[in-house]
Amino acid sequence: MTDYKVLFTGSVCSGKTTAIRSLSDIETVDTDARVSDSAIRRKRKTTIAMDYGVLDLSDSARLHLYGTPGQERFKFMWEVMMSDLVHDAEGLVLLVDNTRNDPFKDIRFYVEEFRDFIVRRRLIIAVTHSDEKADPDHDYYMQELKAMGLFTTVIFIDARDPSSVLKIVKELVGQREKDIAWPELEQRLAVNSTMPQASGEGDSPAIGVNEEVTLLEAAMNTRGITGAIHLGADRKVLSSNVSSKQNKELLRSMINLVTALEAKASFLGHIDDLVLYGPQQETLSVFVEEEQALGLCSHKDLSINVVKQQAVDLLQWSRR
Amino acid sequence: MNELLGTIDKPNVVESSCFLEGKEVTTSSFTKANRHYETVARQTFSYIFLNVGKHKSKHNEAHLEIGDKRLSGFLLKANRVLVCLSEKETNISDVRAHIQQVQHLIAKAEVERMLA
Repeated sequence: MTDYKVLFTGSVCSGKTTAIRSLSDIETVDTDARVSDSAIRRKRKTTIAMDYGVLDLSDSARLHLYGTPGQERFKFMWEVMMSDLVHDAEGLVLLVDNTRNDPFKDIRFYVEEFRDFIVRRRLIIAVTHSDEKADPDHDYYMQELKAMGLFTTVIFIDARDPSSVLKIVKELVGQREKDIAWPELEQRLAVNSTMPQASGEGDSPAIGVNEEVTLLEAAMNTRGITGAIHLGADRKVLSSNVSSKQNKELLRSMINLVTALEAKASFLGHIDDLVLYGPQQETLSVFVEEEQALGLCSHKDLSINVVKQQAVDLLQWSRR
Repeated sequence: MNELLGTIDKPNVVESSCFLEGKEVTTSSFTKANRHYETVARQTFSYIFLNVGKHKSKHNEAHLEIGDKRLSGFLLKANRVLVCLSEKETNISDVRAHIQQVQHLIAKAEVERMLA
């Protein structure tokens, strides 16, 4: 029996758990926990350690499927998996959510994080959620990746559809395993499908319209964040739950400042954020995009990188 | 003060620095090429710390990420701010740790400046 291993990685909600469930012959081993950050806007549970599944390719070949957690704060698991569990993997599948503001930023980030791992292994970029947002298309990906110096395979998949995810497996081991009966395999895995028409529900407990989580609720779901203020393109307040008058006033002045700088100093580049610290104070931060801005109050001990990641995700998903 | 700025500027941590007295730059190591950042820092930190004082807050450190750079402002005392220019990729903790390391030199220079 030949055993192959493959590692799935990618940003939160890119479809890693779903793809593994679509392919696995066994009940997958997952380590889901209640979402405790801004990802609550897209799903209720998230992987905190790893996903594992197995696919019997033929009588003589088997594929072990491993998935990393998406959140950067569980990065230590990436290291554990790369150095131990999947050190002998065939390849890395990088799932890229096409609805992200800048999917190539994600690609650059993960390629950098897994650089040593992919040096001697196959890298496959699997683009997901293209049913929600078709652009960038395949040609654009190829063109951009070439410009980035990445000569790799790009496959558009629907993680909920086993036949679609099988394209990755074919790409990875198809050349070496000639005895795989692909049509039969596809038929066998059809029961794993979580496509809406097949089962009536998605994999990740989808957030229905009636239970939509607002940006402020999602912000408050993040441990350490104590208040948020959401502003529109005109920098007028859309919603706010900052209770402290002092914080509210300071955030307001920070937003006014950034708005003025955006107009006067745009030639220096985009203003990403403005952060205000104090030894005994809550940290106040302002994150700006063209269409909206977000002000956050957070516990003084919460790392600014965590706050930033949450802000990026909150702004990302509030545009959709 | 110029000597002090030479100590504050550190490769890969602080590219340039200056001291602000209200809206005025008293001493600076900003190069001509980075002068626009100095102007932005002057406006940003004088405004921010004016508001901090107005609202009786104890915030004493501000960071602005603009383009590829980060401007960090450390409030030394009312109206007096140390500004540091870094690459955006530089860890804020590194900048903060470096400023803490040279804190005693800054304090000494401030006393000398007052006595002069």
